[in-house]
Amino acid sequence: MGPYGSTTCSGVSRSASSSSSSSVTKPPADIDGCLADAGYKVRSSDLRHVAQRLERLETVMVNSPGDLSHLASDAVLYNPSDLATWVDSLLTEFNHQPLISLPSDLDFSDGAVINNPAALPRETWTDNSSVIAAAPQQNHNQLTVVTAMEEDSGIRLVHLLVTCAESVQRGDLALAGSLIENMQALLTRVNTSCGIGKVAGYFIDALSRRIFSPQTVGSASGSVHENELLYHYFYEACPYLKFAHFTANQAILEAFDGHDCVHVIDFNLMHGLQWPALIQALALRPGGPPLLRLTGIGPPSPDGRDSLREIGLRLAELARSVNVGFAFRGVAASRLEDVKPWMLQVNPKEAVAVNSIMQLHRLLGSDTNRNSPIEMVLSWIRNLNPKIVAVVEQEADHNKPGFLDRFTEALYYYSNMFDSLEACAMQPEKALAEIYIQREICNVVCCEGAARVERHEPLDKWRTRLEQAGFRPLHLGSNAYKQASMLLTLFSAEGYRVEENQGCLTLGWHNRPLIAASGWQVMSMPEATTNQEAVGIINQNNNPNHI
Amino acid sequence: MHQNQNTSSQDSKEKRPKFFINDHIDILVEILKRLDGPSLGVAACVCHLWSTVARNDTIWEHLCFRHVSSPPPCSVRHVVVALGGYKRLYRVCMRPVLSRLSDSDMVKRVWTRDEIQLSLSLFCVDYYERSGRLGAGGGGDASASSLMFLCNTVNV
Repeated sequence: MGPYGSTTCSGVSRSASSSSSSSVTKPPADIDGCLADAGYKVRSSDLRHVAQRLERLETVMVNSPGDLSHLASDAVLYNPSDLATWVDSLLTEFNHQPLISLPSDLDFSDGAVINNPAALPRETWTDNSSVIAAAPQQNHNQLTVVTAMEEDSGIRLVHLLVTCAESVQRGDLALAGSLIENMQALLTRVNTSCGIGKVAGYFIDALSRRIFSPQTVGSASGSVHENELLYHYFYEACPYLKFAHFTANQAILEAFDGHDCVHVIDFNLMHGLQWPALIQALALRPGGPPLLRLTGIGPPSPDGRDSLREIGLRLAELARSVNVGFAFRGVAASRLEDVKPWMLQVNPKEAVAVNSIMQLHRLLGSDTNRNSPIEMVLSWIRNLNPKIVAVVEQEADHNKPGFLDRFTEALYYYSNMFDSLEACAMQPEKALAEIYIQREICNVVCCEGAARVERHEPLDKWRTRLEQAGFRPLHLGSNAYKQASMLLTLFSAEGYRVEENQGCLTLGWHNRPLIAASGWQVMSMPEATTNQEAVGIINQNNNPNHI
Repeated sequence: MHQNQNTSSQDSKEKRPKFFINDHIDILVEILKRLDGPSLGVAACVCHLWSTVARNDTIWEHLCFRHVSSPPPCSVRHVVVALGGYKRLYRVCMRPVLSRLSDSDMVKRVWTRDEIQLSLSLFCVDYYERSGRLGAGGGGDASASSLMFLCNTVNV
């Protein structure tokens, strides 16, 4: 019943109050004394619950499209002194809906009426949902008007989702399938244009894909061109990618200070949107611009078009306009682990920066037959001896081995992300950004093994991994923080937060960080050997394994 | 005033020179340099001559950097001109950024170096996206501009 309180308690209280209301003259000890003087019997523990219900009842009555006269004539309400039951029955009168059907062991509701969900009439619900849809869209605080049943339906949806995921993990696909049907029926009762309804819709879709049509999952990834387009709209609609680009650029700019030949290796070029700002900043740096080389890695285009080269030409034209010496090289590879260091043609005299925006997590799929790809890639990065490795990753734990854990993490993470997307008013950017996110969700939920590339891990795990691979953290500094804060102020949405986390920056929605940017440098060789060489001592018993 | 009119009507036969601002473009430029953005836009609507003069990029350069704490380095001009000019910089970046970053009267505000740098970066991204749309490049069909978010009204 209540969203936060225990559901069984209210069921118990209802039966208790109905038995106690008959003949007792003195109220029992747990009945609230003040209300009892006024003639109402409410348990003190239920006070908050009843107050919430009264508020909702008021909202429903105010927003009710019809008149309320039927309450006077048709409704049969017993025992108004039992305030809790009375309010609940009034709410039920408004909604004319019995509760959703559930298998008995999953019924966490107040043990009330169980009906066949398919037979439930829809008219009254459309009345209520149209009232909700009319709620003003510019209410960025997302206080949409919800009826009691709708909020309950939202909670119930989450519950069903988790239960379905748990049955998938157990392998009980029959139960999972029937839960999907229940959820789809329940979805018709909630507002799916925002909030929990929208997120639940995507997750139900992903789960049903996993259960009913696993063979089609791989083909949902879309063409290269499609992915680039969706990425671009995700860039427009919310600040995450802008934050990633600007923060990484600031770190790279600072690392390149004093160097005249610089080389940036971008692990995922896309449309090259990150680089104009860096080119401009290098053009204006005191002392003049360096010679800039950019190596862009990206998937090969299927239609024979050399899209990498086209992006390189655009960037070259920009660099030429602002008088920055520029050279571009494209490396086409469908997976990052297919890239070999010789393809990058790094010159030992140049300062190298490696830029990885949400790419490293794709290497985490482990294949026990060979070296883990992440270790391979990190070791050749290390061998390049870069001045900085800029790493931006989703701040989420979507790589746990258990499906249920991954599912619940993803539900929480993407709920926050969709909430933050509500602040964007631009169409079609917002809708297409949602498709971009939906593809990520599908990959996390539906895919396994090599097909699951969205293996997000939180910042702490990346710290451990990178330190073990021989990198040490570079603090991003106050300039990056100031720039990120300014960028956020330009976004009209309240609710985004930039935070500093031990030298790394995170951007999140309210209290939940959603994306983390960090900078890394190669840990220098053990001090002992370098000191010895400097002084001229050559230890003939040099043990190569000493660290 | 009345007396002046009498004297000027008396002296009209003596061909006393009058002052027309349009005869002194340099003074016009000096005056326009001191206007704020909206007023400059209004001034550009007065007549063809004023419209041409108001398009002079140095006037907009003055507007962009009028309230900086320290004058920008000379290399900035070359970059801004290459990316589309000061008038576009003001319209597309400076004005929206300024109005978002401060509540008080925008004209009197002092820019910081970081804000200028951010505006220039955003301006560069805008140039790059425009170049993609006009050309036949990979991003040609993406009609969105990353600076559109600057045009959205601020959440009140």
